[in-house]
Amino acid sequence: MRHDEKLHIIVAETSPVISAGLSFCLRRLPGLQSQTIEVHSYPDLIDCLKSTRSDIVVVNPTFGGAFAPQQLRQEIEHEIKIIAIEISPLDRQTRSLYDGSVSVVEDLPSMADTIRKLTSSDTDTDSDPDREPLSSREKEIITLVVKGMTNKEIADRLFLSIHTVMTHRRNIARKLEIHSATGLTIYAIVNHLVDLQEIKM
Amino acid sequence: MESKYHYSPHEKMATLIADNYRLIQVMTRFGINVGFGDKTVSEVCRQQGVDCDTFLSVVNFTIDGYTHADTAGRISAQALMQYLKQSHAYFLGYLLPSIRRKLADGISSAPSEISFLIMRFFDEYETQVRTHMDFEERTIFAYVESLLNADTSSAPDLHTYSDHHEEVSSRLHELKSIIIKYGPAKADANLLNDALYDIYRCEEELSDHCHIEDELLIPAISMLEKAKKNTSHEQ
Repeated sequence: MRHDEKLHIIVAETSPVISAGLSFCLRRLPGLQSQTIEVHSYPDLIDCLKSTRSDIVVVNPTFGGAFAPQQLRQEIEHEIKIIAIEISPLDRQTRSLYDGSVSVVEDLPSMADTIRKLTSSDTDTDSDPDREPLSSREKEIITLVVKGMTNKEIADRLFLSIHTVMTHRRNIARKLEIHSATGLTIYAIVNHLVDLQEIKM
Repeated sequence: MESKYHYSPHEKMATLIADNYRLIQVMTRFGINVGFGDKTVSEVCRQQGVDCDTFLSVVNFTIDGYTHADTAGRISAQALMQYLKQSHAYFLGYLLPSIRRKLADGISSAPSEISFLIMRFFDEYETQVRTHMDFEERTIFAYVESLLNADTSSAPDLHTYSDHHEEVSSRLHELKSIIIKYGPAKADANLLNDALYDIYRCEEELSDHCHIEDELLIPAISMLEKAKKNTSHEQ
């Protein structure tokens, strides 16, 4: 998944009621930012996958007659996750062809869990950026960044390698969702990490 | 007639807008003015000198969120580029300055250093968007012109294009979250909300705009390149 970008989910379902309902739910999953595109035929699904950068397809196993996940994977160049829509219980063999399944009777938190499990494999495991507090070292580094010091100067001052300073800065950016120096300055003032006099405006 | 496309040229133009008010923006940027009565899309386009296929491709893409495989062959790169230039003019000349005014008014009663920094953040963002759009017009649009005029000019790197788009959108996301999480409590709530609404809208419209560039313009450029190669082989 791309950095603080929304998840792009394609809903492939012939019934407009199920498609719209599922699409509505997928855009409101707790803790996940996602947007959905609805397609109603197999050629549309292919066009959609080729023209957008969607990486998740939620599909009815009867889509386009009988839907074959392997065939779709072969047809699309980039890697995609294929999730089955469970309207009635699926047999084990059908289920094994998919990366997961969402049932039309399940609640939103469990649907969110299914999607999160499929997308978080390449990012840090189970870390929830919003709940993770900054360490005292990270706060110290923020005050130095805000005072206008370069990574090299910070490394020298704290007896760290530049590499370590950069890792700290990446973690700060991830936890606070702030990537710019001006943004960090606002954070530091509001949280009283620095005195106004110390800042180079 | 059943079409696989959302809207056909035979649809009434007024119906399009009634179904989805965001299409007003698309219309305006194509240079179509209101007051078209009960005319169909193709009639209005013909009358106002707009390429109908390109207009409908942008309309359908805006509504459906994806394009069909044969779209690139049907659109006019010239018309699409005119549309994108109008979008640039709208963002830089109208929307961003208007957000800036609302934002400045909204936070003017707050502690000065926070207001100052928020405005600085906004100005940095605006500069970034301006630089990006200027870059597009100077390199990519100029390249399209040269393809259309059959001049020889080397292709710019189209991959860096999409990377820029992600930077531009993540920066706006950051501005929003800074205002919401750390914005001054003493701000004028109505004015600040107004600015925030506009920022959300700006984010959506910029994202649509960037997608149209990535998914409609880039394939249209590839088609032009192919056509050029073929004619040079024939000669």
